Amino acid sequence: MTGTGTPGQGGDPDKALSRVHFTNLKKILYPVPGITKQQVIEYYIRAAPKILPFLKNRPLTMHRYPDGVGNFDFYEKDAPEGTPGYVEIFPRYSDTANRQVDFVVCNNLDTLLWLANLASLELHMTLSTTGSYESPDILLFDIDPEPPLTFDEVIRVAHIVREHLGNEGLVPYVKTSGKKGLHIVVPLAPGHRFDTVRAFAHGVGKALAKNTPHVVSEFPHSRDPGTIFIDYLQNAHGKTMVAPYSLRGSPMATVSAPLNWEELVPGRIAEDFTIMTMLSRDTEPWRGIFDNRQKISI
Amino acid sequence: MTTGRKSASKIAGSVKKAENRKGDVLQLVQAEPRPASTDHEVTTVPDTTGQQGDNDKSGSDLQGTAGRPFWSGSITIGLVNVPVHLHTMVRDKSFSFRLLHREDGQPLRYDRVCTRDGRVVPWSETVKGFEVQKGEYIVIEPSDLKAIAPVSDRKIRIEKFVYSLSLDPVHFGTPYILTPDRSEEAYSLLRTALVDLARAAVGTITLRTKEYPVVVHGYRGGLILTTLRYANEVTSPEAFEAIIKLPVPREAELGLAKRIITDLSGDFSIADYHDTYRDAVEQLVKKKLAGEKIVYEIPHPEEAKELMQALKETLAALSEK
Repeated sequence: MTGTGTPGQGGDPDKALSRVHFTNLKKILYPVPGITKQQVIEYYIRAAPKILPFLKNRPLTMHRYPDGVGNFDFYEKDAPEGTPGYVEIFPRYSDTANRQVDFVVCNNLDTLLWLANLASLELHMTLSTTGSYESPDILLFDIDPEPPLTFDEVIRVAHIVREHLGNEGLVPYVKTSGKKGLHIVVPLAPGHRFDTVRAFAHGVGKALAKNTPHVVSEFPHSRDPGTIFIDYLQNAHGKTMVAPYSLRGSPMATVSAPLNWEELVPGRIAEDFTIMTMLSRDTEPWRGIFDNRQKISI
Repeated sequence: MTTGRKSASKIAGSVKKAENRKGDVLQLVQAEPRPASTDHEVTTVPDTTGQQGDNDKSGSDLQGTAGRPFWSGSITIGLVNVPVHLHTMVRDKSFSFRLLHREDGQPLRYDRVCTRDGRVVPWSETVKGFEVQKGEYIVIEPSDLKAIAPVSDRKIRIEKFVYSLSLDPVHFGTPYILTPDRSEEAYSLLRTALVDLARAAVGTITLRTKEYPVVVHGYRGGLILTTLRYANEVTSPEAFEAIIKLPVPREAELGLAKRIITDLSGDFSIADYHDTYRDAVEQLVKKKLAGEKIVYEIPHPEEAKELMQALKETLAALSEK
């Protein structure tokens, strides 16, 4: 990360800082608050020390907004044409695409900035790493409210999930999705399988659905009005989660923000954490979560 | 419009005089439909018509100007002949630069150089060869080619009429404009009948030494002739495995995609598009002519300054870890 590989530090020192050639810096990517691509890149530069440890060795799905939020956007799994040499590639057969996909892996600062320059506002990462792609190292509960329920109800349910996991001896972590809901994760020790992890997450949902108002555990009910679905289905090979500290393609430039459980109080909203506010937070609630890898069993 | 018309050309199948032919061939070289393997790419047709500029636009989205015919003959349907001229319809407006010797500014020319001894070979000592396998040629004499060349009988032979919309545009080659050659009534009759029936005439034409399938149809008050590409010159998407294996989209996604397309639907106008690179080169040439100093804008350092500051701080933070 430190060696940007450019020789000649005796010359213009700025030249050696990054291999990324930034383009269209004045382009507005968030029209509502008027955020330019330059500001997006600056955000990712400053957030890099926090976000890079999470992205490390994880195949990415890019969610690109070339003309800004509100205009045409698309998901991209393949390294696009002209991908520079410093970007690591993970070639892998994709079941959903039904062909080999050259996934981008963001293992250095330049790659992150290259992604930002592509207007890949959102970075979605797999729940396993390239070294053991079939074995998840993150358990994910994705909790979203269906109207008329709001973020406050999601917060209430998240605390119930935390309590339930705590009773099983697990220490979960929480972040905003940056959109409607919350993500609760448990970092996993090596050796887990996607099917057991998924079954475990499903089991938690089923247990909570029994005696918690609004909570549903089954996918067919996930869109019923006035429900909160505990989504366990993301715990699967090739599925992704928006990375912590990733921007979202939302009007207000929200961020998927790692939180301390104490911060998760009624009245809290996703828009509390945006490109403007995120960097001034003096807390890093997910720092070192992979030092606390846990085991689950059914 | 009829300048350059040869008096003999009206009679179908007439033989041209040699001196006329020469002039014709020369023009053909300039405006020939581009064959697949051209080695004498012609990028501009010299504008000898004196009709430069936009004074001829009449509000149309197509802005080319009328030019001289480069071929005259007749459309032949059975025993009926409609004498016509053929005019260039599309012109490549891209730029071509001439390679110069930097030292003295003189234009460079290409020479035919023998690959064995590096000697320049005059035209008179050349002959055509066909590579049968790597490095092995059979010699083709001009007389050989002449013997098999299609007869250029100055006819556009119509074989049948098809519905205009049944033609697949991927087969379309180069379009040409047909104008009547003192045959206004027959021309108008053919055009009106084709348009009324929504039909197009399909047949063949021989241009120089190549026979082309062509389609003749009504277009904006006139008739145009479009050369067609042979079946083996066009690749079908079905030749690609990735396309054969495409998954069937899901109902919900398809609905969404269709909605986006419907929302973004509009009327097509080619006038909305401009060759900005060409404009920029034109500007560049103009400025150079006026002796102005050219300032190149490199869109980088100034606005990126804040990013560089952020980068410095981040790199420092990362190296601490």
